[in-house]
Parts: sequence; structure tokens; C-alpha cells
Amino acid sequence: MQPNKLLKPSLYSEGSSNRDGTTVRLKGGRCRCGYVFFPMQTYGCERCGSYGDALTPYELSAEGTLLAEASVHLHADKNRLAPFTIVKVALDDGPVIRTLLADDSPPVTPGQRVTGRLVPTTQSESGETVLDLRFSIAS
Amino acid sequence: MARSLNELRPVYVVGIGWHRYQNPSETPYVELGLTAIRSALADARIEWPTVESSYVATALLGMASGRPMLRHLGATGAPLMHVENASASGSTAFRHACIEVASGISDVALAVGVDKRNPVRRSDTGIGNLAEDAIVPFTHFALLTNEYAVRHNASTEDIAQVAVKNHRNGAKNPNAQRQQERTLDEVLGGKRVSGSLTALQCTPIGEGAAAVIVASEDGIRRLGIDAGRAIRTTASVGRSERVYPPGAGFDAALTKETADLALAQAKLTPGDLDIIELHDAFTVEELHYIESIGLCPEGHGVRMLKEGALDIGGQCAINPSGGLIAMGHPIGPTGIGQIGEIVMQLRGEAGPRQHGGARTGLAHMVGVGAVCYVHILQK
Repeated sequence: MQPNKLLKPSLYSEGSSNRDGTTVRLKGGRCRCGYVFFPMQTYGCERCGSYGDALTPYELSAEGTLLAEASVHLHADKNRLAPFTIVKVALDDGPVIRTLLADDSPPVTPGQRVTGRLVPTTQSESGETVLDLRFSIAS
Repeated sequence: MARSLNELRPVYVVGIGWHRYQNPSETPYVELGLTAIRSALADARIEWPTVESSYVATALLGMASGRPMLRHLGATGAPLMHVENASASGSTAFRHACIEVASGISDVALAVGVDKRNPVRRSDTGIGNLAEDAIVPFTHFALLTNEYAVRHNASTEDIAQVAVKNHRNGAKNPNAQRQQERTLDEVLGGKRVSGSLTALQCTPIGEGAAAVIVASEDGIRRLGIDAGRAIRTTASVGRSERVYPPGAGFDAALTKETADLALAQAKLTPGDLDIIELHDAFTVEELHYIESIGLCPEGHGVRMLKEGALDIGGQCAINPSGGLIAMGHPIGPTGIGQIGEIVMQLRGEAGPRQHGGARTGLAHMVGVGAVCYVHILQK
């Protein structure tokens, strides 16, 4: 079996695998002032302006609550074929993120608990399965 | 000690002009811009050489587009600068033209916005993102629509009524890109875009130009401008996004703090406003922003809309021009066109879309980034 490849390894890492797919840890950051953000960066803290060593990697759980969803019917970019659904999720660890709902997820509504996991998207040229983050209703 | 615009010398809008907002065409931007500027000069009844400084608002024309346009008015050697501030480019240009005149550096200045619908290009920040390529502006606002509908128990039909009103206003505006009344069924039955948003609830892609000329009292006297048609800018505020509580809508939070500062500057309350031109690129925005400006409590926007309080002739006419949904949003011109609409209304020259007795108007734009600009004009 070919190893998995992550589409965006700077943003998330692979956790354990179970029957629902592969769990994921998000690569967030935390400032000395306490502000938690996603993704990790060292340019400077949006809240207090501290930079460099004041900002440290801080893993975020991909568990959260759905704030909003939108099914996109039209999209000009040919690399991303509509329809697909965008979700806005308040992570339990603080930041609010926006990303894609899993294609096999039932419809979601604001207030529901959701979980991010790594799901196979495409195959790379060398035959590896490429995983990317998708959210779905928490099991 | 820092001072606000209305603590400097008074500044007035004395000339307004447009090139109609329209679907993308072969017309060069130079022709669009010159049409708007010549129309603003004619409205003020002044000649081009009296303009001491120009601010050219454009987001999509690329570097140094102003001089190849302005030279055809006669190259006077007056300074010019370009302003790019996303959707708020025109509002920002207007603010700086006002500041230049209010400060005493010039007596007469031009703010002109012109754009063609070229592709938007933004540089990579070096920070990755999960799926931003999949979240274009209409999806950002489709998400906000979903949140607003759930939080305030507003139906798709309720929110779409914003488009019905603004298409009705745009139908009476010869400078609007869309000049056709639309029923609720037409609005809802159109092409689905994202979430519950349909094409007629979204601003169209287009091009055009808008120009305003601002002047000091000295300038008005010296050039013999009709002071009875001059409309004073009594507040100007620009702000950018801060860190808000997680999940708070930054567009609305930023609008609230910017509008609060502008109303305080002009010593007004939201109830004093007769006209508001605001950034309704997508229907839900109008509800968010009237609530942020303080016209009604959060979640009560739909009620005002349904009562007709936001119509021309209602309590406060919102987007009598047709707004971004019907008049259009060619980017650079939009914020300047809002000022022109308010001036026309306060002069009582808005013809079939005149809001009776209008004395006070507020112009609001947000721009990707996010930035927010609010101006208040008073008769």
C-alpha cells in the first residue's frame, strides 16, 4: 500500500486512523499574549503585534461547532468544480475557520457539532493517495 | 492634537458626474473617466484649469492609469495621485480630496473613480490557507446570509426583498447598470449562485466612472460657484479591521465602529439620516449595515424593509441610486457615485427617485482587507 500524502502539510498533520477516516491536528499558533490563531505564522500577532519567538506552534483539535454553510452553485475556477459546500466552523480551541464540507456528508445546519478529518481527494502522479481536510457531522 | 475633518475649514461638493455603469464593453477607460469628469465640471460650471489636485480611484486598471486620461483635459501640471483601496477606493479618494481642501492646501480638488472589469490580482502573503480559492466574495456573503437567517429567523424571501427594493430604485436611475424592476419571484427564480443568493441578489460585473469636485468657501466665492447647490461634507472617517470576538461578523463590527465615529463627528444620531447609500454588494449586507449604523436593533432590519421604511419616501431611503445591486459596482467609481447620489438628493435634483425633504445623507463602503469608509453630507 502506498503511503498517504497531505495536500497542505504546512496546515495540518495526520493523526490516528479509524473507520471514519484519518484524524487530523491543525497547525495553529499561540502568542505570548494568549491569542490563538490559525495557521501558524511568525510575522506577528494580529492582536498585540509581538513577533518571532513570542509566537509558538499550538496544535488545534479539528472539533468545533458549525456557524454557517453555503452550497456553491457557481465557481469560475475550473480546478474546483461546483457544486461544493463551504462551512464556517468555530473550533473548540478558539479560531474560526472556513473550509470544505466532505462530499459524502449529510446536509449540515448552524449549531451542529462538526469534525474535520483527512479524506482522500486525488492520486498524485506517483500513485500516492492525496489527503485533504474536510468537515462532516461529528460522529 | 489630532483633528477631524469637520474641525478644519468647511469643504463642499460642488460638482457631480458619471459615465453610466454598464456591462463590460470595448469602451476604453479613458473615455469613461473623461465623460464623468467633464460632466462634473459642467455641473459645477467651472473649467478644468481651476482644479488644483486630482485623486484617481481605481482597483483594476494597473499602474499609472490617471495621467493618460487627465492629459486630454489639458495638461495643467496639477498634482495627481492614484488610490487603490479595494471596493472603498472611491470613498478613500473622496476622503483625501476633502482633507486636502479642508486643510487649506487646495481650494478645488477632483475625486474620480474609473474601472474596467479586469481580473483581480492579489499577491501571495506567504501564509497558507485551507480553501480560500473556493471562497469568493459571494460565498463569503452566502455564509453570512445563512448565519443571519438562522439567528434572526429571517426567510430567504425576506432577505431577497432588499433586491426587489434596490432594483426598483435602479430602474429610475439613468446611470444604473441594471434599470429594470424585478418581482420577488424573478429575484428568487434567477440563477443560483451560492447558498440562498441568486444572481439578482448580487452586484453585477461592470464598468463605468464617477467624479465629484470639492471646494472650499474661498474657492466657491472666487470661481462664482452657485453656493445654493453646494453640499457640505460634515464627517469623514476611515477605519480598518481589528480583532473581534471569534465568530463576530467583521464587516458589521467594522461598519458599526466607523459609522459611530462619523455620526459623532457630525453630532448626529442615526434617526437624523434621510438617505443612506451603503455597500449592498449582496442582499444580506444591507440588513447588516442598517443595523450596524443604528437605524434599528440587530435583527429588526427585515421588519423595517417590509414596512417600507427603507423605501424612497420612507423613514430613511436606503440606496435610492439602486445601490451596488442595481446601480452596479465597477469598484473604483462606486464610492464616488454614492457621494454624487447623495448630493443630487440633498439638492432636490433626483427627479423620479427624489426622497422628499432630504437634508442629511450617509455614504458607506467596505472593502476587502477589510477597510471601511463613512462620509456624512448635509444641506
